[in-house]
Amino acid sequence: MSEKKVKKVFVDGPISAQFIADSISKHSTKKEIGAHSIFLGQIRNDVIDNKEVAAIEYTSYEEMANEKFYEIREEAFSLYSLTCMHIYHSLGLVKTGEISLFVFTSSVHRDDAIKACEYIVNRIKKEAPVWGKEIFDNNEYIWKKSEV
Amino acid sequence: MELEILTFGQISDIIGKSTFKISYINNTQDLIENLTNEFPELKNTRYIVAVNKHIVHQNIQLNPGDVVALLPPFSGG
Repeated sequence: MSEKKVKKVFVDGPISAQFIADSISKHSTKKEIGAHSIFLGQIRNDVIDNKEVAAIEYTSYEEMANEKFYEIREEAFSLYSLTCMHIYHSLGLVKTGEISLFVFTSSVHRDDAIKACEYIVNRIKKEAPVWGKEIFDNNEYIWKKSEV
Repeated sequence: MELEILTFGQISDIIGKSTFKISYINNTQDLIENLTNEFPELKNTRYIVAVNKHIVHQNIQLNPGDVVALLPPFSGG
């Protein structure tokens, strides 16, 4: 049984540990699953020109991003044998140490879950129209440059 | 006869707004030239263009009512 319907990806603010724990526990009824793979992106306190990043404020071209997330989801399902897949991305302010990206794949055997999770994260980083504004502790900011 | 322009990230900082309408211009290249004349700093900024949510890599014809977005390099995740 695959979940292929359009699902909400963006959440306001950080993704809480409780939300992640609840997501995991919801899968206990799906007894065909033998493996979960989870990626969590956390806001890092980069230091740029002697100023430390305190938070990232995310904005997005939401309509386009939702189409892109749907496309990534469909392609991941066609490439890997997945039981289910969840993607959550923060919008708005997320402080250092908090979680801004949660990708969760589940499969019968671990190979598909692990590979699909990495595939999805890489595509989100490269293709999702989302922008991070790195805000320093003195309230100055720069637009984040992605490492990909 | 207008186009809707959307900007994001540092492009919004340069232009000073994130959504606005302009009089119809019939192709993306002329539109970009027009915007660059008005906001010269765009010349020094990397971005790609999406028309109605689809990224375009060359000059294309525009229709009245099209939504043209200027997208700086993505940095989500």
